[in-house]
Amino acid sequence: MTGETLKLKVAALADIAPGLRHVRLVAADGGKLPPAAAGAHVQLALAGAARTYRNAYSLVSRPGARDAWEIIVRRVPTSRGGSAYIHECLQVGEVLEAGWPGNLFAPVRTARRQLMIAGGIGITPFLSYLAEFAFSGVEHALHVCCRESEQQVFDPWLAGRPGVSWYWDADGHRLDIPALLAAQPAGTHLYLCGPAAMNEEVLAAAAAAGWPDTHVHCEHFGSALSGGEAFRAFLARSGVEVEVGEDESLLDAIERAGVNAPCLCRGGACGVCATPLLEGEAEHRDHFLSAEERAAGLLIMPCVSRARAGRLVLDL
Amino acid sequence: MMHSDIKSRPVYQPLVPDLAGGRHLLVVEGETLAAGRLEELAGVFAPVQARLHTWLAGAAAPLGGLGKLWQLESAADVVDALACASRGYGVGDRLYVQGTEPFLWSVATAAAVIGFGEKQVQLYHAGSLRRRVWCTHCHGMTEGVTTSIVACGGCGRHLLVRDHFSRRLGAFMGVMVDAEAPGEIPAIEEVFA
Ligand code: FES
Repeated sequence: MTGETLKLKVAALADIAPGLRHVRLVAADGGKLPPAAAGAHVQLALAGAARTYRNAYSLVSRPGARDAWEIIVRRVPTSRGGSAYIHECLQVGEVLEAGWPGNLFAPVRTARRQLMIAGGIGITPFLSYLAEFAFSGVEHALHVCCRESEQQVFDPWLAGRPGVSWYWDADGHRLDIPALLAAQPAGTHLYLCGPAAMNEEVLAAAAAAGWPDTHVHCEHFGSALSGGEAFRAFLARSGVEVEVGEDESLLDAIERAGVNAPCLCRGGACGVCATPLLEGEAEHRDHFLSAEERAAGLLIMPCVSRARAGRLVLDL
Repeated sequence: MMHSDIKSRPVYQPLVPDLAGGRHLLVVEGETLAAGRLEELAGVFAPVQARLHTWLAGAAAPLGGLGKLWQLESAADVVDALACASRGYGVGDRLYVQGTEPFLWSVATAAAVIGFGEKQVQLYHAGSLRRRVWCTHCHGMTEGVTTSIVACGGCGRHLLVRDHFSRRLGAFMGVMVDAEAPGEIPAIEEVFA
């Protein structure tokens, strides 16, 4: 396959749990897919009712697999039309446009021990991690916080792998995060992927336990971050004014207006969407800009960040 | 001599306890202790004294205030002790080292082997400027070099001691000084005393 984008055909669809759909994708031309390493994601273009959504999903297939890619998509009740499309409209045999696989969440291969904490569907990037760690032999442990009923859902990908522990919200079954983080030997790297509240709790516990930030790696769900109060943005170069709705991101609104904006992760991590901010004050929600850059107020990441108040003017 | 335009030349900072750390290990090369320095370190590390271990290599400690104190003979003993402690240190712990450059990097590389990340380690250079020199020709190491040119302990070639530094080896690069004109060796100066 060559070209700017990839054409992927839906080879199989399966509802593996209420609100969780497994999608198997192959190259539409019958050839091989480009290889993707542990932690990689793919961005799919999904036609919604009003516009096309571009959502990034972690690949849960074996790292390096070239025959098929697999993703697991959770139905997001309110925001983002992409997951609704996958759950309600997507058909086997349908061809989707996709970006080349990216990887903003690759494991650190010099780590002496790999510690993973997942919240719910945040387990998806770790399914490929586990396959890699089983192969490389590095010491590792995965702690999953989920609904009690969801434990078996991921069994097909866990294949009886050791080192996986389950937690749910009931006495005697909750994960003691501070105790877990305090007990880790030097050379451990921590990866976490889950809802914002869990991520924040773990990040705070890691900082309190003295973890250097070089050893803590966090994957945020882009969609959970993008909503907020509605506001307006003026795209100075295009001369277009856009309304940003409560449950869409600034990037979504820009795309809806037909203006081309660069993006990759759509989760505030990669930095590709950085856009000069000419007027207005941003509410920064990304993980890319440094504290100094935020304070300077010259850039905004439209995939997750919004207006603090009033109207923004972008150099776009 | 501590400043150089060569980018690989390490820059050292005074040791300051990182209060975010869990346990703190301070490793000091005894010969680099100027008068009063131990007292000074005890003062600086007072906030973390309850969680402090101090390893003194090749010196006796006449005072308290340095947490749990342990005396070792040499850098080699420190390296061995760290290797034995590989399961004892956590990802929240911190390491501070004072010494000559060969000492600093022997300890730093041993710590890296047991999983200490760069942000967990502080290095402070004190004492002699002597260097460990790595020969680019035979890959041999020559220890305790104080002169601008040194005969390689491995192959005997006369090496010009450069400022280029390898963190992995903890050594400066030495290149044959008379490769173009055999036998023409510039004046040898004592520059890393
Ligand atoms: S698209 Fe990656 S930071 Fe915005």
